Amino acid sequence: MEDVRGTFSRRDLLAVSGLAAGALGVRRAAADVVVPTSPVTVAKVASYDLDLVAQIEQMFDQIGGIGPQVRGKTVAMKVNLTGSSGRGRQVGLTAGQTSWVHPNVVGALTAVFAKLGAKRIRILESTFRKKYGTPLEDTLLNDGWDVNAIKNAASIVEFEDTNGLGSAKQYSTLKVKSRPYVFPAFSLNHSYEDCDFFVSVAKMKNHEELGVTLSMKNLFGITPELLYGLGPKPPGASQWVRERVFHYGQVQPPSGVPQELDPTSNRYEGWRMPRLLTDICGARPIDLAIIDGIEAIIGGEGSGMPGTKHGKPGLLVVGRNCVSTDAVAMAVMGYNPRAGRHEAPFRLYKGSHEHPKEQLIPPEEWHQYADNTAMMGEGAGLGTADLSKIDLRGVPIKDAVYDYEAHWKGQAPV
Amino acid sequence: MAEAREALAKWYDPATLGLLEGTPINCLLVTFSTGAGPEAEHQQHQLVKGYAGLARARGIAVLGIVYPGADPEAVAAAAREAQLDGLVLDGEFPAGFADKLGPVRVIPIQRATASLRTSRAPLLAIEGVRPSARNLSDMGIRAEASAEPWIESNIWLVGSFRLGTEWRPIWINQQPNPSSQGDYVRCVADAALAGGRWMVSIDDDLRARLFRKDPDALATWRSIGAYLKFGEDHAEWRHFAPYGNLGVILDIAGKNPDITDEYLNLLTRRHVPYRLVLRSELSAASLSSFQAVLAVDLAPPTGAERKILCDFAEKGGLVVAGPSWGDPPKDDPYAEVPVGKGRVAVYKDDPPDPEAVAKDMMDLLDPEVMGLNVFNVPSGITYATATGGRVLVQLLNYAGRPIDRVTIRFNGNFKTARLYTPESPPLDLSIHATGNGRTELLIPKLAAWGAVLLE
Repeated sequence: MEDVRGTFSRRDLLAVSGLAAGALGVRRAAADVVVPTSPVTVAKVASYDLDLVAQIEQMFDQIGGIGPQVRGKTVAMKVNLTGSSGRGRQVGLTAGQTSWVHPNVVGALTAVFAKLGAKRIRILESTFRKKYGTPLEDTLLNDGWDVNAIKNAASIVEFEDTNGLGSAKQYSTLKVKSRPYVFPAFSLNHSYEDCDFFVSVAKMKNHEELGVTLSMKNLFGITPELLYGLGPKPPGASQWVRERVFHYGQVQPPSGVPQELDPTSNRYEGWRMPRLLTDICGARPIDLAIIDGIEAIIGGEGSGMPGTKHGKPGLLVVGRNCVSTDAVAMAVMGYNPRAGRHEAPFRLYKGSHEHPKEQLIPPEEWHQYADNTAMMGEGAGLGTADLSKIDLRGVPIKDAVYDYEAHWKGQAPV
Repeated sequence: MAEAREALAKWYDPATLGLLEGTPINCLLVTFSTGAGPEAEHQQHQLVKGYAGLARARGIAVLGIVYPGADPEAVAAAAREAQLDGLVLDGEFPAGFADKLGPVRVIPIQRATASLRTSRAPLLAIEGVRPSARNLSDMGIRAEASAEPWIESNIWLVGSFRLGTEWRPIWINQQPNPSSQGDYVRCVADAALAGGRWMVSIDDDLRARLFRKDPDALATWRSIGAYLKFGEDHAEWRHFAPYGNLGVILDIAGKNPDITDEYLNLLTRRHVPYRLVLRSELSAASLSSFQAVLAVDLAPPTGAERKILCDFAEKGGLVVAGPSWGDPPKDDPYAEVPVGKGRVAVYKDDPPDPEAVAKDMMDLLDPEVMGLNVFNVPSGITYATATGGRVLVQLLNYAGRPIDRVTIRFNGNFKTARLYTPESPPLDLSIHATGNGRTELLIPKLAAWGAVLLE
């Protein structure tokens, strides 16, 4: 890889080898943080119509069980409902088959948590609507979810749209307990504090701006648009509130909400967001990561993006550590979990019409990029993205790989 | 290929009239004049004369299609000789062409529809679109992650002619996308949902296979007949009045008729029920049955119109207007201004973007004002009508696969909900009151055309 002047720098070498961000992460981790690790299990699941309750129970056993952590407790599941209208999908497919977690996975998880003795189960997502107040259940109806069946899967099942205050009178401020990169704390819907066991239920997808979206990226949806969007929109700023505060740093959060650590730091989305996501995961630690890759949209996070296609990876990935779980998920997607910004999936092609010009190719690079969120998590001490240090259970990675890049580009064997 | 050409050449063989048996089709359109040379025209006229005579003996009316380039006097004479029931003009014709056809009934297939909405013609034929659903990404359109499929439909177009409660036949002319049996039946349903009818047009391949009595082709033809029969069996539905708590003020002399049509198209696309009010008939009385009004066609409103709309808002209504209302926002797409008990939403752009307006209606209209909420129909369109306490919600699924679990909520307390589809006997649905004066029901599976009658 040469820059326009025909030179090949040491930075290039590190980037190509995938060690650029990784080296930073390892250095920080080695200095003063013991990086936690925890088993991650992979299963091949051909269909949502199989016995997912039994499958999930088996996977929980494989990672050491979670019974004591949930018995008598409130379990909160933050599900991934990209776009949150339920209307965005490909013709003839449900959102659960493409960009959303599937209702059968959520229903099975609810049933399993109930069997393990959870006292209360809460299903959470921020629906990103201009007008707040529509029950989250209605959003789920828009993808044909049998909401009553999920409610009946446990004695107490609640739903809350966390894009605003919800049923509380004030937001909860959660401090980043790991080493913060961008924000020291976040103000969030109370649901993210009022729980004993927190589950990130993500979809296994590519992402236009971040390369992949897995259990860590899923947590971006816990930031309430209605709180962070209180300030007026400056001229030229993104119409999407969370983008102008978080992605681009065009404005600071409103007064009274935790402010950015360094407003002069890099505004480039590909630098900022992986670090910000790590901060969010540090503020609201994930006790259990579930990644639904049974069916998914390939090539982007939603069906509206050109080149995306429906795929059937037939995979479920479960782990107690979000960094390790995401690393394993990347591996079964066919990616190097320690990939740097110059390689797939982190070398990007964002649409020029949807992003400010300065958010396309930044001055210090020759193409668009995102840093590796899992590596940022490792650098902050949240977990390890080193497969050699992760206790892998279930199906070996080499037997589970569904190459997302190959399928996206139509190069996968038929 | 040779077989197909032969089949098409012999299409006016009397045997083809047998295909109409068992269907509700009682009128045929036959190619009568294409503006070819005199000899070819004469041959065609004679062919149609013989065919039309046999059709009339079966009680079937026959209309001759005339294409541009034809000699009107010759066409008129031939039409009289063939005793045709009328002529259909398909294309752009010189001024005065129809007058030269004499006393024969003439039905032009219209393309510009704005001024037709106040036409007193007993029936109208309109050029429509091919009903379909496609992914935006397949159309080369870069959209957001949660972009919805693009649907082409004529439901809004047919509905746009229901300015009052009276019904008249609106015939939609369009060639189907002949890739599957489902495409044909969707054409029937797409025209019928709002009370129209599709001028059944089959492609050359299907015609050739029907001529050869190909089993798959005959199955396709039977499915078309079944959908047509379903429409005729429920002909009373055409006389139900459009439902909507949102009134759309229509200026048929407006400067942007295509934009106006897009508001209607995209509101329908987003399952926002509405009724139409002509600008010329705008008054306090004409707005009395609405709770919200889309007034973007009034650009600008006159002083009298502004007073009517302000009074409407003062009493609690919502007015949605363009920037000519005054004080449009500088940055945000629209701003809501309280007026008495109600409000006015003023858009920044002139004219306001139809897609944005349709989408914003989901936020601007409370569910009880919307009246009808439909869940899990992203590749479908709904159309609601009502009469005498009964409500009919029709749905059409444009995807090639059935939809599971469609939930409907509607204002009012109903005792029964019955689902009608062309494929199955009527099904009584389980319904329940939601506790705020609304009724909810679930359609377990929707193949293509479904109609729920609430009583």
